[in-house]
Amino acid sequence: MEKVVASPREWIDRNESAKAMLARVLTARPLLLLPPLHRVPLRVGNVVELVGTSSSAKTQILIQAAVSCVLPKEWNGVYYGGLDRLFCLNFLGSIKKIDQEHMDFDLWNNDTKKNPTYDEELYSLCMRRFLFIRCYDSFQFLATLKTLHYRIQKEQELHGISVHILMIDGIGAFHWIDRASTFMPLGATNRKTPSLQTVSETVVQEIRKLLLLHPMLVIATKATIFGDRYSMTETKRNLGKLDASNSRSISSTSLQLPYREYMPSVWQTFVTHRVLVGASDDPLIRTNDSDRSLYFSEWLLPPQSFVDKFIVKEAGVFMVP
Amino acid sequence: MAPLKYLEQEYPILDSNFRNFCATHGIFSEQQSTSERLKQGITQVLSIIDGQHQPWLNGMELLEDAQLNKHVLSTGCEGIDLLLQGGLRMGQLTELVGASSSGKTQVCLLATSNVAKKHMDGVVYLDTGNSFSPQRVIDFIRQNPDPAIDQAKHRILQKVMNRILCHSVFDIFTMFDVLHQLEVNLRSQMQKGDCQVRLLIVDSISSLVTPILGGGGSQGHALMTSAGFLLKKLAHEHNLVVLVTNHTVGGEGGISKPALGESWKSIPHVRLRLSHDQGSSIYNVSVLKHPSMASGKAARFTIYD
Repeated sequence: MEKVVASPREWIDRNESAKAMLARVLTARPLLLLPPLHRVPLRVGNVVELVGTSSSAKTQILIQAAVSCVLPKEWNGVYYGGLDRLFCLNFLGSIKKIDQEHMDFDLWNNDTKKNPTYDEELYSLCMRRFLFIRCYDSFQFLATLKTLHYRIQKEQELHGISVHILMIDGIGAFHWIDRASTFMPLGATNRKTPSLQTVSETVVQEIRKLLLLHPMLVIATKATIFGDRYSMTETKRNLGKLDASNSRSISSTSLQLPYREYMPSVWQTFVTHRVLVGASDDPLIRTNDSDRSLYFSEWLLPPQSFVDKFIVKEAGVFMVP
Repeated sequence: MAPLKYLEQEYPILDSNFRNFCATHGIFSEQQSTSERLKQGITQVLSIIDGQHQPWLNGMELLEDAQLNKHVLSTGCEGIDLLLQGGLRMGQLTELVGASSSGKTQVCLLATSNVAKKHMDGVVYLDTGNSFSPQRVIDFIRQNPDPAIDQAKHRILQKVMNRILCHSVFDIFTMFDVLHQLEVNLRSQMQKGDCQVRLLIVDSISSLVTPILGGGGSQGHALMTSAGFLLKKLAHEHNLVVLVTNHTVGGEGGISKPALGESWKSIPHVRLRLSHDQGSSIYNVSVLKHPSMASGKAARFTIYD
């Protein structure tokens, strides 16, 4: 109290100008603009959910984000916590290819003088920044989250840079197993019985605690498990004719969600951004050498009125105008 | 995970003082503890929790593992091998979807004979509908005669067939038993260096899962997803190729779609759709889902009698 009274003038003097503050915040916490999520800038502390049926390029988008994060231009590290990894190993083969393309491009933009060719040292440095774990059930996932803080501390000391993204591939992977689990606690009755609700609450709590200590961007993918049935009847009712399109794709009607939300409300309120991705009904695009599937991405939260289209190539995800 | 007091026998540092401290403060607060013993206790608990999950890997280690261990196994069928850029990959769960008599079991038997003969690895075949035919496997083996082995034909044939283990399973719980037993065997096999099991086939998984799905409860789906995860875990940890077959059901507008529903869709790594032209021996295979290929790519192949 004495300090404030003694120098009230200091108290009302500004600490820094708005320009200086913006400059500081934008360098310390950069915005992330990744295709196809570039419509809404993402910052640390955001929790993004990518929803889509299976085979709708969700994991491709994650890998794209991972690559742009580990490359030195960003100077950040990535954590990838997989819930029973769906595509990890095969994607490693294509990560190598993606890295080559991206690295060629980014080395070009780098200040330091380097050969714009494949640099082994840079490649291994980037690959080491990418941390990965696979979980086969909810307990393993929870155990990982609980020990993540110490792991991050160790890695930060090792690499000297901070973690920027936490990725969870398949947040709903254990939904059915948790829903059906009826655990009988032996002995002590004051412990929580594991159920879908408590697991989700604990997951959200742990991630919140982590975000306090290590500000990160959280990206989670979620596969729809009731999607098709719901949307197909919707289109039938609206259009009055049978939709004979490819059953992989789901498109949203203007008012309702095209899929049924199955995550508990504690997770739904935790999510700050939501994107729907899926395979588009349009025919395959012919690029130079092979056919490519066209995908669409639509922002559900914050809701946008347009739908982006993108394709997935060897070098990554590219927007289609 | 056991409550702390049961861990005291194993880890004596977690005595009642430590437990009282934890009860009042919460375990996740290393900064608050001042005494050395409490710090040690916390480290001990953390290492116990760390042992509960899989080890962390970084990108380089993943890449090394993929390059060293996760090779590609040829199926013996050129069309499929070409489509899959070499064949079935170890560590992945591949699903063959098709209507009845679209060639799923034939492809499984062909892959069995190829792996047992050319790659000289063990095969475990879980048969749910008595469709495993040893005679057909022998026909496939005999199709590409190797002049060097013609002399000792019978003995070689016996050796090859000895590498194939066929189990009849008629419900999902038996399958779980067999898979758990296989897991135990594989762990001990790693030290022996015997004929390594490389291919695990479940023909067909849909006939095991379909009777328990539905009815509004979630037990059926839970069993299905845990079976899928167990197969993927076996594939990854023991570097196996896991091949399962699935049938089709009617979908919207009369178009058939794979059975087992939406939740199963995201479990296999690779999904292939087989179909068969009536009366001919030409089969069509197309990619429904693949981690590094656009879906829709197709190929044709023939299986000779």
